[in-house]
Amino acid sequence: MSADPLHVLANAGKGQSTRTVLRVIILCLIAAAAIASRLFSVIRFESIIHEFDPWFNFRATKYLVANGFYNFWNWFDDRTWHPLGRVTGGTLYPGLMVTSGAIYHALRTLTIPVDIRNICVLLAPAFSGLTAFAAYLLTNEMTTSSSAGLLAAVFMGITPGYISRSVAGSYDNEAIAIFLLVFTFYLWIKALKQGSMLWGALCALFYGYMVASWGGYAFITCLLPLHAFVLICMGRYSTRLYVSYTTWYALGTLASMQIPFVGFLPVKTSEHMPALGIFGFLQLLGFLDYVRSAIPGRQFQTFLWLFTGGVFSVALAALVVVTSAGIIAPWGGRFYSLWDTSYAKIHIPIIASVSEHQPTAWPAFFFDLNFLIWLFPAGVYLCFQQLADEHVFLVVYSLFGSYFAGVMVRLMLTLTPVVCVTAAVAASSLLDTYLSDKSPNPEEYHPEDSNDATSKKAPKAGLKSTNKPVVGIYGFVSKGVIVSAMTIYLLLFVLHCTWVTSNAYSSPSVVLASKMPDGSQHIIDDYREAYQWLRQNTKEDAKIMSWWDYGYQIGGMADRPTLVDNNTWNNTHIATVGKAMSSSEEVSYPIMRQHEVDYVLVVFGGLLGYSGDDINKFLWMVRIAEGIWPDEVKERDFFTPRGEYRVDGEATETMKNSLMYKMSYYNYNTLFPPGQAQDRVRGSRLPEVGPTLNVLDEAFTSENWIIRIYKVKDLDNLGRDHASAAAFERGQKKKRPAKRRGTRYLRTE
Amino acid sequence: MAKSRNVTPAPAAAAAAAAAATTAQPAAPAAPVAATPAKKTTAASKQNWDQLFNNLVSYYQDSTPQRTKLIDAFLAFLAVVGVLQFVYCVLAGNYPFNAFLSGFSATVGQFVLTASLRIQTTEANKADFPSVSPERAFADFVVCSLILHFFCVNFIN
Amino acid sequence: MKTSAVFSAALSLVALVSPSAAKSTTALLTPPQVFKNTNLVHVISVEKNYVKENVNVLIENISKEPQDEYYLPFTADQVSRLGGVEVKDRKDASAGPFSTQTVELDPESDTLYLRIQLPTPLKAGVQQTLGITYYFLDAYKPLPASIKQDDIQFLAYSFSAYLPSAYATLKQKTEVKFPSSTIPDYTRLPGSGDVKEFPQKQGSKLTYGPFTEQPAGAVEPVQVRFEFNKPVTHISELQRDIEVSHWGGNVAFEERYTLYHHGANLSSLFNRVKWTQANYYNPTTHALKELKFPLRIGSADPYYTDVIGNVSTSRFRSNKREALLEIKPRYPIFGGWKYPFTIGWNSDAKNFVRATASGGYVLNVPFLEGPKQVEGVEYENVRVRVVLPEGAENVKYHTTIPEISITDASVVIHQTFLDTIGRTALIIKARNLVDDFRERELVVSYDLPLAARLRKPLVVFGSALVVFVSTWVLGSLDFSFSSKRK
Repeated sequence: MSADPLHVLANAGKGQSTRTVLRVIILCLIAAAAIASRLFSVIRFESIIHEFDPWFNFRATKYLVANGFYNFWNWFDDRTWHPLGRVTGGTLYPGLMVTSGAIYHALRTLTIPVDIRNICVLLAPAFSGLTAFAAYLLTNEMTTSSSAGLLAAVFMGITPGYISRSVAGSYDNEAIAIFLLVFTFYLWIKALKQGSMLWGALCALFYGYMVASWGGYAFITCLLPLHAFVLICMGRYSTRLYVSYTTWYALGTLASMQIPFVGFLPVKTSEHMPALGIFGFLQLLGFLDYVRSAIPGRQFQTFLWLFTGGVFSVALAALVVVTSAGIIAPWGGRFYSLWDTSYAKIHIPIIASVSEHQPTAWPAFFFDLNFLIWLFPAGVYLCFQQLADEHVFLVVYSLFGSYFAGVMVRLMLTLTPVVCVTAAVAASSLLDTYLSDKSPNPEEYHPEDSNDATSKKAPKAGLKSTNKPVVGIYGFVSKGVIVSAMTIYLLLFVLHCTWVTSNAYSSPSVVLASKMPDGSQHIIDDYREAYQWLRQNTKEDAKIMSWWDYGYQIGGMADRPTLVDNNTWNNTHIATVGKAMSSSEEVSYPIMRQHEVDYVLVVFGGLLGYSGDDINKFLWMVRIAEGIWPDEVKERDFFTPRGEYRVDGEATETMKNSLMYKMSYYNYNTLFPPGQAQDRVRGSRLPEVGPTLNVLDEAFTSENWIIRIYKVKDLDNLGRDHASAAAFERGQKKKRPAKRRGTRYLRTE
Repeated sequence: MAKSRNVTPAPAAAAAAAAAATTAQPAAPAAPVAATPAKKTTAASKQNWDQLFNNLVSYYQDSTPQRTKLIDAFLAFLAVVGVLQFVYCVLAGNYPFNAFLSGFSATVGQFVLTASLRIQTTEANKADFPSVSPERAFADFVVCSLILHFFCVNFIN
Repeated sequence: MKTSAVFSAALSLVALVSPSAAKSTTALLTPPQVFKNTNLVHVISVEKNYVKENVNVLIENISKEPQDEYYLPFTADQVSRLGGVEVKDRKDASAGPFSTQTVELDPESDTLYLRIQLPTPLKAGVQQTLGITYYFLDAYKPLPASIKQDDIQFLAYSFSAYLPSAYATLKQKTEVKFPSSTIPDYTRLPGSGDVKEFPQKQGSKLTYGPFTEQPAGAVEPVQVRFEFNKPVTHISELQRDIEVSHWGGNVAFEERYTLYHHGANLSSLFNRVKWTQANYYNPTTHALKELKFPLRIGSADPYYTDVIGNVSTSRFRSNKREALLEIKPRYPIFGGWKYPFTIGWNSDAKNFVRATASGGYVLNVPFLEGPKQVEGVEYENVRVRVVLPEGAENVKYHTTIPEISITDASVVIHQTFLDTIGRTALIIKARNLVDDFRERELVVSYDLPLAARLRKPLVVFGSALVVFVSTWVLGSLDFSFSSKRK
C-alpha cells in the first residue's frame, strides 16, 4: 500500500515487519523526544509544580490520594473562599487528579512507590508522548503515507504551541486534555470510517474522560456535530454517519453527565444544543433514508420536503422559545467573549483580567507554530484534493480552530493538533514526491491514488489532474533544492522549538532565575520563602487576604485559608478583596475585620524589577471592585489629571491612600539613602517620605521584597481608632521625655 | 406479526420526532411534531399519500427478514416507552431530574443502538460497512448497551 | 526469631521509668541511706544551648553490707528533659559506662531517681569516685522573653547551688561555665569560710562553694542570667533513614528535621530593612542563619528540601579532606519560629559496610550526623531507621549512645521500590540527645543469604518476562476475537 521508496528493495513480507518494528522504534523515540524536551525546568530548577492553577490541582490530588475517591468526590473545602468555602468535589474537573491518583496507586501495587509530586510533575510530559502517538494515528487515518503520521507525531511532540501547556510541572487540565482531544478525534474518524458502534462507544468513553478533564470539552461537543452537519449538507449522509454519531452522542452525553460539575449542562445550555440538534436531525435522516429505499424517487421528494420542513421548523421554533423562556441557559460569559472579543472587557472584567483570555497577537502564531503555520493551509488544500469524510473533518476543524485560536490565547492549544496534522500531510506529500529517487511513472501511481479515495462520493476527475504535475519531477536539481530546503526548515523548526521551550515556557514562575555577574545561575525563591514562613509561623487557620492570583499557591504551599483564589467563581468576593486593596485604610479595615483576615499578602517587584507584581495588576482590582461598587471605587481616581498611572510623588491622593500602594511601599524608602528610593519596575523615584500604615503591621518581607506580608492589627485596647493610636505612639516616641508626664497627669485626673 | 407490520413505520416516525423534540425540551410537547406531517400531507394530494404509504408497507413486508422484524418490534417498544416517559415528564413534572434523564436517555440510547444494529445487519447496507460483519455488529451492540446501562444506573443514583 | 529475643532483652534493659522495675525494689519510698558523698564537684556548663552537668563525687559506703545501687534524685520535669546520662569510674576508665535506670520509688512524690548500678558492689566503708555526666534540654528561659530583632538575647538558668542528693554531702562546690563573661545577674549567697559571698566570678566562670556538710535532699535555688546571642536550636524530631543497598553499592542517608528556635521571641514583627542592614555589618545575631553539616568524607549528591520543594540556598564542599554541607533556611529563624526541612546524601557502601568472616555483614554508621554548630544543637526525639536489603535476617545492633537514651528498638518490614517481601528495617528511637553525641557509632550486623540477594533481579526479570509473554498471548488472542466470533 505504501509507496515509501526507501523500502522498495526489501521483499514484501520482511519489509512489512521491519517497517513495523522501525515505526514502533521511531514512535518510541518521538515520545522520548517529546518527554525530554519538556524537562528543561526540572533540570534547570527542580521537580516542582509550576504557576498557579497547577498548585490547586496538586493540592486536590494530594487530597484524593490521602482521603480516597469518595471523600474527594464530596470534598467541601473550607480553607478557600473564606468564609464561603467551596464545594470542591462538585466544582472541578476530576479527570486530571483521578488520572494521577490512579497512576500513583498502580505504581504502588507494582512496588514502585513514587512520590505523588513527581507523578504530578511528570504527568504532562508523559501524556505529551501519548499525544504524539495519537497524532500519528489521526494522521494515518487521513493519508496513506505513513511518513505523514510520523511527521505529525514529531510536530505534535515538539511544537511550542503544545509545549507551552505541557512542560514538566505544568500540572494542569490541559496536560491530559490535549491527548484526549486528539485521541477522541482519532476515534471519531475511525468510527465514522468504519461505521462501527464499538469505535463510537470508545469515542464516547474518551469524550467522557475529556469532559472529566477539561472545560474545553465543549470544543469537541461543538466540532463533531458541526462535522456531521457539514457532511449532511454536502450530501454525504451515510448510515455509517448515523451509527457513529448516534452511538457517540447517546453514550458520550450520558458519560459527560456523570461529572458533577457538568451535571445537567448537556441538556440545559446552548453550547450543547448543536450536538442534540444534530442527533435529532440524524434520526430524521435515518428514517428518511429508510423511506427512500422503500419508495420511488418522486414520491419521496414530496415526502421529504413536507416531512423535514415541518419537523425542522417546529424544532427550531421550540428551541428559540425554550431558550428565551430560560429553560435552557443562554451562553456563558466566556463563550460570549469568544464571539465578541471586547465583550469581556466591557461586561466581565474578571474574565478579561486573566491574561490567557486575551486575544492572540499575530506573532504568537509564528512563535508557537513556526513553519507549521504556513504548511497548514497547504495541508488543508491537500485535504480538499481528496475530500473524504475525514478530510472534511480536518477542514472543519481547521476553520473552527483557527477562529478560536485567534480569539483567545489559550485556545491556541486546540488549534495546534490540526496544524500539526495538516502540516505533516503537506510536508510528507512534498517529501514523498521529491524524495523519490525513481523517475516518476504515472501508471504506477494511478491505481494507488484510486485506492486512496475510499469514499465513493469523492470527486475524482478534478483531483487527478492537479495531482499529476506534482508527480512529474524529473530533475535532480529541483529535487535536491526542495528536499534540502525542507530539511533546513525542519531543522530550524527543531531549533526554534528547543529555543522557545527553554526560554519561554520552562520557568516555574514560582522560582525565578537570574544570572550572577560570573554567569552562574542565581535562584530567587521569594515566593516559597514567604509561603514557608506563613506555613510554619502563623496559626493553622490564619486567613490570608491576597489578590486571587496567589490564592492557589497560598493554599498549596502555605497551607492557609484564603479569601479568593484562581477559581474565580464568585465575582463579588473578588471585588470585595479588590475594594479592600484599593480603598483607604479606614475603609479597608472594617472589610478585613469582617472577613476575619489575619494577614495580607502583596507582591511587590519594585526592588528587583519584577514586573508581574500587584501594583501592575492593581488597575484590574480597581476595575473589578468598581464593577460592584461604582460609587466607592473609581478607576479615574487612580490616574493623574494627565491620564497617567503613576506611583511616584505625583501619584493621585486616592492612589497614595490605597492600601495596596501603602503596603507595597511601606518602609521601602528606608532601604535607600534619603530621597533615593527607586521603583525599578516602573522606573520612578518615590517620594522621600514613605507611606504610613495604621491598621497593619509589617509581619514578613522576603529577601528580595517580592512578597510582603502584613498582619492586621487587633482592635485597639483603649478603644481608639488605629490612626490616632499609631499617631500617638509615633508622637510619644519622638517627644517621650517631655510629653510623657504631661499625658500621665491628664489621665489621672 | 401483522400488527407490528402495520405499526412499525409510524412509531419510528414518532420516535424520531420525539428525539427531535428533545431538542426543544419539555415546553414543546411531542404531539404537534407528530401531527405536523399528517396535517401537511392532507393538504397535499390524498391519493399520493396513500400510495406512498402502501408502497412503504409492501416494501417492508417483502424485503424485511424475520430477524430484523424482531428488532423492529423492540424499536417500537422503545419508542413507546420513550414517548410515555416524555409525556409523564411533561404532565407530572421532572422532579428527580436525573432519574427522568437517565431513564429517558437509556430509552433513547437503546433505541439508537438498536437502530444501528438494524442498519448494520441489513443486507442492503453491507457495502457501507466493509469491516462490520453482522456478528461483529451484535457484539458491538452488546458492549455498547452494557456501557449505556452502566452509565444510566450510575446516573440514576 | 532470634532477633526478637535479642530485642526483648534490649528493651527490658533500657525501659525508662518502668513500673515493674519500681515495684521490684520493694516498697521503698526513699533510697536507703547507705552512702555518703565525701566530696562532690558539680560542674554546670551553659556554654551551649543545652546544659551539660558533670558531677564528680567521691562516695563512701556507710552501711554494713556491700552496696551496688547509688541513687541520684531528679524532679519529674527534669527527667522529661534529661538525656545522655553516662556514669563512669573516675579512677578506672576501663570499667566502661555503668548501667543506669530511672525509677520511681514514691508514686506520690515528684521526685524520681536515677539508679546507678555499680558493676561491683562497694564493700562497707570503701570509697569510689563516680563521674556522672548528663544533659538537660530546653533548660533555659529567655529573659526578657521577647526582644527586638537587633537586641541581644539573654538566657536564664535556674538550678540548685547544692546538688540535690539522696545522701548527705560533706563537702561540695558548684561551678558554672558561661559562653562569655557577660553575666548581668546571678543569685548571691552568703559565703562561708574565708569567702564573703558566693559565687566567685572568674572570667566566664562562676563558682558557688565550697559548701560545708549538707543533709540529704538539701537545695538552694539560684538563678543565673547570661548573654547568649546565639540561636537556641531545638530539634523536636529528627528522623534519620539509612538505606543500605548491596546491589547499588550505596548507602543513602536522609534526615528530616523539625527545628525550632527556643530563644527569645521577637517583640515586634520581623523587619526586613533592619535585617538587611544588620547583615550588612554582620554582627552576631540570635537568629539562626545557617547550619553546617560535616558529613563523612566520600558523601555525595546531597539534597536539601522542605515540604514545598528544593531549597536553593545550600553549599556543598566535598574533597579528600571534608564533605561539608552548609545550608541556609529559607528565612532567618527567630525565637519561637519553626522550620522543618529534609536533607539527604549518598555514600559508597564500602565506607560503611564490611563482610565478616562468617558470611554476615556489619554496618557501621554514625548514630547522629546532625549540624555542628558553635552554640550546639539539642534533639528531643530521634528516630533512626536502618533499612537493610530485602531478606536480611539475624539483625543485631550495638551503639555507643548512652543506653538510657534509647527508648525503643524494633525490627519491622519496610516496603519500597520493587520489593516482594519487603526490606528488613531496624528502628531505634532515642530521646534527649545533644550534638555531643555526633561521633557515636551505630553498629548493625546482619546476614544476607544468597537467595535473598538474587531475589530482586529474578523477580524483576520474571515479571518482565510475564509481561512480554502475556502481551504476546493477548496479541494472538485479539486477532481471533473479531474474525472467529460466531
